[in-house]
Amino acid sequence: MTAARAYGMLAAFKTVGEILAAAKAVKAAGFTKWDCHTPFPVHGLDKAMGVRMTKLPWIVLCFGVTGLSFAIWLQWWTNAVDYPFLISGKPMWSIPANVPVMFELTVLFSALSTFFGMWMLNRLPRWYHPLFSVPSFRRATSDRFFIAIEAGDPLYQSETVRSLLEAQGAESIEAVDEPVTQSDWPPKIKYVAWAATGLLMLPPAFIVQAKFSTSDTPRFHLVHDMDHQPKFKAQAASSLFADGRAMRMPIDGTVARGELFEDEAFNTGMVDGEYLTDFPLPVDEFLIERGRERFNIYCTVCHGVSGLGDGMVNQRAQEIISPLWVPPFNLHADTVTIQPPGQIFQTITKGVRNMPGYAQQIPPRDRWAIALYVKALQRSQAGSLEDVPPQHRDSIR
Amino acid sequence: MTTAHAVPAEALEGVHAGDRLGRLARIALYVGIAGLAIGACLGWSGGETEMRHFWFSYLVGFTFLLTIGMGTLLFTMLQHVVGAHWSVVVRRIAELTMANFPLLALMFLPLLVPLMDGSGSLWPWAGHYEGGDPGHAALLEHKRPFLNVPFFLLRIGIYFGVWIFLARRFLQMSLDQDATDSPDPTVRARKWSAPSIIVFAFALSFGAFDLLMSLNPSWFSTIFGVYIFAGSFIANCAWLILCARWLQNRNLLTTQVTVEHYHDLGKFLFAFIFFWGYIGFSQFLIIWYANLPEETMWYKDRLTPAWEMWSWFIVFGHFALPFAGILSRHVKRSRVGLLVLASYALLMHWIDMYWVIMPNMNAPSLGGPADGGTNPFGLMEIVVSVGLCGLFVSALARRAAKHPLLPVKDPLLGDSLAFENF
Repeated sequence: MTAARAYGMLAAFKTVGEILAAAKAVKAAGFTKWDCHTPFPVHGLDKAMGVRMTKLPWIVLCFGVTGLSFAIWLQWWTNAVDYPFLISGKPMWSIPANVPVMFELTVLFSALSTFFGMWMLNRLPRWYHPLFSVPSFRRATSDRFFIAIEAGDPLYQSETVRSLLEAQGAESIEAVDEPVTQSDWPPKIKYVAWAATGLLMLPPAFIVQAKFSTSDTPRFHLVHDMDHQPKFKAQAASSLFADGRAMRMPIDGTVARGELFEDEAFNTGMVDGEYLTDFPLPVDEFLIERGRERFNIYCTVCHGVSGLGDGMVNQRAQEIISPLWVPPFNLHADTVTIQPPGQIFQTITKGVRNMPGYAQQIPPRDRWAIALYVKALQRSQAGSLEDVPPQHRDSIR
Repeated sequence: MTTAHAVPAEALEGVHAGDRLGRLARIALYVGIAGLAIGACLGWSGGETEMRHFWFSYLVGFTFLLTIGMGTLLFTMLQHVVGAHWSVVVRRIAELTMANFPLLALMFLPLLVPLMDGSGSLWPWAGHYEGGDPGHAALLEHKRPFLNVPFFLLRIGIYFGVWIFLARRFLQMSLDQDATDSPDPTVRARKWSAPSIIVFAFALSFGAFDLLMSLNPSWFSTIFGVYIFAGSFIANCAWLILCARWLQNRNLLTTQVTVEHYHDLGKFLFAFIFFWGYIGFSQFLIIWYANLPEETMWYKDRLTPAWEMWSWFIVFGHFALPFAGILSRHVKRSRVGLLVLASYALLMHWIDMYWVIMPNMNAPSLGGPADGGTNPFGLMEIVVSVGLCGLFVSALARRAAKHPLLPVKDPLLGDSLAFENF
């Protein structure tokens, strides 16, 4: 770092007026590689120096439009193409729902490109500048205004530059040198940086290794008392009780709350191995209304509102062509319409094919109500004019 | 409150309009009377339907001017609360405009006819309206304690009381400053501004609910006041730009208002065009996503064949086009560019108010025809709005002739005159 070459000429001025005049003179002399350093923004200095408007807004505009386009593409691809998912009955690709993300990504891309574009245009980060070696340059942050003309300028000749700056009334003029061997990073920092980079590569390396290898050692438990809680899981063995079971049988002669099923016909829909052909409870308008309400809650998702087997879950399964999907029955098919109420009740209770049993969710009375409503639905699809009360027949004829 | 720049003597030239505004005041008055007379005749001769059309048109013009008044009042208070230096040279234009609030209160009086004649032809709740949809009757019944004529009148009285009081107070403090070298009046205005803005915000928001949202009484949107606020501020920015340009064309304020001040007003205009779009979309998104009938009906009314094109025009013409148009710094600093965009923004603000108010006349959700009927736009809206604007401008010109167009002794005037953007 002993050898040095000329960096340029640094002149200090006392007032705003002086530096404005000096900047005009330097510009008029035709210099291109030079700059001003002032303690605060000086109005009119850009104009005096002939600084052109920055290109930054164009960069930001391009990135903003890119962010907007990316947001549109991202939401179109994820929502409508790669994993179509119906939300609230809106279209798969629905612009209003996408606008917030479009807005955010436009702002994000614009803001980041403003910040890093400014760095790039100013050639930042820069750790060292030759002017920092001039002690008097410190006053650039308090009370002096500086002009630095670089030796790299094609018109640079130290005598002419000095006389030009002197003519503008510079308080002091100094030639500035810069070290020839561009100072590399200090060795210590260099080694630490290499070591840190190497360490940073370790976690991803472990992840990659774990992803492509099979391990036969048990997993490592970070939080031991959460992974191993002092409790028994369902169906687990226990050495505490004589029968070796952790789960206990009910005490003889007791019935759990809500599990007293005395009336066989009412609770199973069967009597002596035969399905009930009638309803084991009074059939009235209230029951059928209850049935409609429960049907619409529990059954329509698959069977559809009118029982045609066209519920939203089925529509969705058809749309994505699910190989596992067994379509729900059309409740108006002949095989279903001939079923007695007891069989329908039992289907709801225990399930059939892919349909799960609903005994846990729906109490028996409501299951009967649904069976009644299903019967009514079937009647409605196969009805004739004679089914309609005489006083209403005229209105639908 | 220190100022870095002294006020040069030539800065106080061309600040007194004197009799140069007399002709404008006269012509605007004639235009105003003629416009309102033609509008009233059109309404009177066309029977009940056209009379309704007249009242709706009157409300459009009235709301347009009210938002200019509220915008300029807020602008003035805002400059005080933040202690802005740049805006002093255009602040007096805003102060003179907002002093029109007593006139706006007078202009409200004719609206008492459709309010109190029991027909409910403008505000349906003031008549025998029971809700267009059976489900709306319950909503409306719930709102009865709020939406009834006596309480409505009381509230309108309070709003105008607040607006007139604040407008007169802030203009008076500014005029007091003209007469003294001590900065006391400006210091006082700064102290007044913060609490005043809070009171003003309530008057603006509830005023928007009462005058505009209650045109469809079963509809509700809590952000609606903010939407009107955004529009008001757009109107204010455009209004200040147009007024300053108009005065400069008459050799007033020629050296004082520079491209730097226009640039800042342009930035404000740009920001609030975006803010308007942000708020308008926020209101739409929530309603669209929730998809509740009592909320979507407001937009469905505006997507009928009669209004669909207007709605699209609002989205693109009020937001997308001016946003792209005024994005560039060069446009904001161009005399012609900014003049065109400010005129356009003010026109679009009128169309926005028209779009908020007028579809309620034949709204399907209020029991109107399912397709929204035919779009009523025609001579009526134009003559009534031009007429009301004529009276507004005439009163403003008369006042502007009496006072300097610049706060001549404002302690921050020097900074404002020397203001430069980077």
